[in-house]
Amino acid sequence: MLYYVFTLVFFCFDYFILAMGLNIQYGETGILNFAYIGFVAIGAYFTGVFSLHPAGHSGQHYILGLGLPFPVNLLLGGVATMVFALIVALITLRRLRTDYLAIVLISLSLVLYDFCNNFVSLFNGADGLYNVPEPFAKSLGLTVNSFIPFFACVTAVISLLMWFVMSRITRAPLGRTFRAIRDDEVVAAALGKNVFGMRLKSMLIGSFYAGIGGGLLIQFGGSFNPTAWLPGETFVVFAVLIVGGAGNNIGMFVGALLVETLLIHLPAFLPEIPGHPGLIEYFDNAVVGIVLMLMLWFRPEGVVPARLRRTASFGVAARGDADPDLTIAVPAHE
Amino acid sequence: MPLFWLSVGFGCVTASVLAIAAVGLSLQFGITNYVNFAYGDFMALGGFFAYVLNNQVLHLDIWIALVIGSLAMGVFAVIVNRLILGPFARRFSTSHYVLIVTFGLSLIMLNAAYSIWGAQVRFYNMPISSALTIGPVRFTRNQLIVIAIAVGLMLAVHTMLKTTRLGKSMRAMADNTTLAMTSGIDTKRITTITWFLSGTLAGVAGIVLGISEGNLTPASGELFLFVIFAAVILGGIGSIYGAMGGAILIGLATEISAAFINPAYKLDIAFVILILTLLVRPSGLIARPGTT
Amino acid sequence: MSESGVLERTHATGRTAALRCEAIAKAFQGVHAVNGATFDVPEGQITALIGPNGAGKTTVVNILSGAMNCDSGREVIGETDVTNWPSYRIARLGLFRTFQLSRELHGLTVLENLLVAPADQAGESLVNLLLRPGLIRHQERAHVERALEVLDTYGLYRHRDTRARELSGGQKKLLEIARAVMASPKILLLDEPMAGVNPALIELIGGHIVDLKESGVTVLMVEHNLNVVEQICDYVIVLAEGRTLATGRLSELRENTDVVKAYLGEVIDAGAAH
Repeated sequence: MLYYVFTLVFFCFDYFILAMGLNIQYGETGILNFAYIGFVAIGAYFTGVFSLHPAGHSGQHYILGLGLPFPVNLLLGGVATMVFALIVALITLRRLRTDYLAIVLISLSLVLYDFCNNFVSLFNGADGLYNVPEPFAKSLGLTVNSFIPFFACVTAVISLLMWFVMSRITRAPLGRTFRAIRDDEVVAAALGKNVFGMRLKSMLIGSFYAGIGGGLLIQFGGSFNPTAWLPGETFVVFAVLIVGGAGNNIGMFVGALLVETLLIHLPAFLPEIPGHPGLIEYFDNAVVGIVLMLMLWFRPEGVVPARLRRTASFGVAARGDADPDLTIAVPAHE
Repeated sequence: MPLFWLSVGFGCVTASVLAIAAVGLSLQFGITNYVNFAYGDFMALGGFFAYVLNNQVLHLDIWIALVIGSLAMGVFAVIVNRLILGPFARRFSTSHYVLIVTFGLSLIMLNAAYSIWGAQVRFYNMPISSALTIGPVRFTRNQLIVIAIAVGLMLAVHTMLKTTRLGKSMRAMADNTTLAMTSGIDTKRITTITWFLSGTLAGVAGIVLGISEGNLTPASGELFLFVIFAAVILGGIGSIYGAMGGAILIGLATEISAAFINPAYKLDIAFVILILTLLVRPSGLIARPGTT
Repeated sequence: MSESGVLERTHATGRTAALRCEAIAKAFQGVHAVNGATFDVPEGQITALIGPNGAGKTTVVNILSGAMNCDSGREVIGETDVTNWPSYRIARLGLFRTFQLSRELHGLTVLENLLVAPADQAGESLVNLLLRPGLIRHQERAHVERALEVLDTYGLYRHRDTRARELSGGQKKLLEIARAVMASPKILLLDEPMAGVNPALIELIGGHIVDLKESGVTVLMVEHNLNVVEQICDYVIVLAEGRTLATGRLSELRENTDVVKAYLGEVIDAGAAH
């Protein structure tokens, strides 16, 4: 029983991290990153090959294999994802408007998937990486049953730390400039903002979160293969964001809870329907799509709408009412 | 080099599939001004309609199943536009929610297909065809039919765009929708017809993809999607003839490259071409003014 | 004004030229929108850019502010050649602009719209965010206080926490200008600030523009309303068919037959309604 509950807890906090990463890119800056799951995969794979020992006779084929401990491998996995994002952004971000960028990114996601599936010496191809050492398992003497609750808590702590940093970012001028670029990049540029530089920053921060989220996935499960990151999985992260409430950190947690935990992982514990393997999973994914469409139509701001940033929150004392003469001169309606 | 000419042959077939798909995508993009990310799934569903007619329920000849299946897909596309895409596009014309909706549609269609037909590979019921030799290139009879279908459809689209009133209206709408509306063009009707054409072409493309690959799964179209995007971007987004030209180039390039590199990566070559296009000439071969 | 090819640092009025452009040309698909715009804008004055419809005025503003590239020609701000610089770099030199159709940052509040404007905000750097939050808080507070004053001046104080998209048309116009003012511009390009605005508001905005000039800002405004030009502008540049036709005071230009011809079909007497 504990196994089930803590698995759900893990995925809730992990997708909270993933949603924060996509939010800084899409919710705050308006970059339609349809390749997001590819970044998550890069983070997972690199965290894996940073923690595994050199592939020799283990039966797996992969690059690197540095045998680094947790959390060094996780952090480096995040950095590797940022490097990947940098390359992608330099080629694509400068030249393309939103919808063409989406086309290129989703193509990137499909090609990356194809490539990792076929190029066995990279990350062990279709079999993926497995037997990835569980963090602290040996040193704390954890069994399978005790590792899951333990690591779910570790993930929760990491996600709260990352939430703290992210909320600083979104409340700061940095977040505000991102939103300005999202709303109208021409105006932002006219006000002196380096739009490309800012978008790049947004991509890098978001990809770090994606990488950490991915790294935690492979550390939790001990394995990671292409079936875990079909390009359509990006959509699930978008669903978390939009259902919960884009541009809003609490909303993202709620979205992770609702979409990832309730919709996706809870049904995974239901018994299979005889004669139709995988039917529940397929049905589930389709439901996520339908839920997102309903949400976009009836409540686009999400379950937890983003709150307005009011003057009082800046710590500046309110002044008396404005000069009444000036107020009269500005008609309410034109 | 017999291997080279063999690749050229395959290249012609791939180019044919690509051209049908790319033109269907371009027609719809030109009118609605957003990309349908579920297009690959439209192709796969068309492929499965034909499968049902050919190998499950009715056992029709594959080419008849092709015609009926793709027309059914055209109708499906019109219904999807009426019920889902159209309303979202009208309501959220400034933000990019409609792109997310098509992405969601893709997920729904893919998983619906998995639910109905499962993940196993399906095959069409087709007579084994003999090989024919044209010059240094060898084709099977089925491959030649596929190429003939592609050429026929390209000519039909070209004729429609240049000579018919419908075609002129479509071109007018693609250039400037507001102006077209005020000129008395029934934009709603044109949009519906365009979706029908786009869906039908997607259906044909999905079925001939299944024929030329020799197999069919619900994900077949989706995995092919980026190759179609590469063809459209190489040709120049918004240009129908660019899409045709891009399809030919990409189709040949991917197959010929398979003679030199590991064939498993031949489609990825299309992505390399896509990136090169972006770096060197982002507007594509035939740039359409006002699309950047 | 000097002949084409020679730009003088000293403007015809004896002041220094804050902004100069020479032989700017721009064609759209073969049609020349601008074909030989040459003028200098005197520092610390309000200059009007007028001309019949289709003269290329907005295109010139777009090119000068960096929103568009010119096909040929030169632009100089102060001593720096800024030809075809991207808009954000030109803004960093102190040139800011407003748009003919106001472009508010719709998802942000009115106050936030202004807070985006100042340059060199410490809070835009990730390093500062993590290591120097106190500095950011301090800077933000200073910016907020100044922004509230600007909002007060432009009559938008009580809308400070309203989402910008909910403002009325006239309020958006004021926000557009207030936001540019918040950026502490040295040169301000206004693209038809009075367009579609009621007479009471015109006077208000006109007053604000004069206040800006008095605090040292160089203003170049595209304007159709010649009443306004008469009342607040010190200098006028006339553009017709994409090239500079004439420059000088409005009273002189009324006598200029080329200018009158260019406006054929349009009345340029003060007091005529638009």
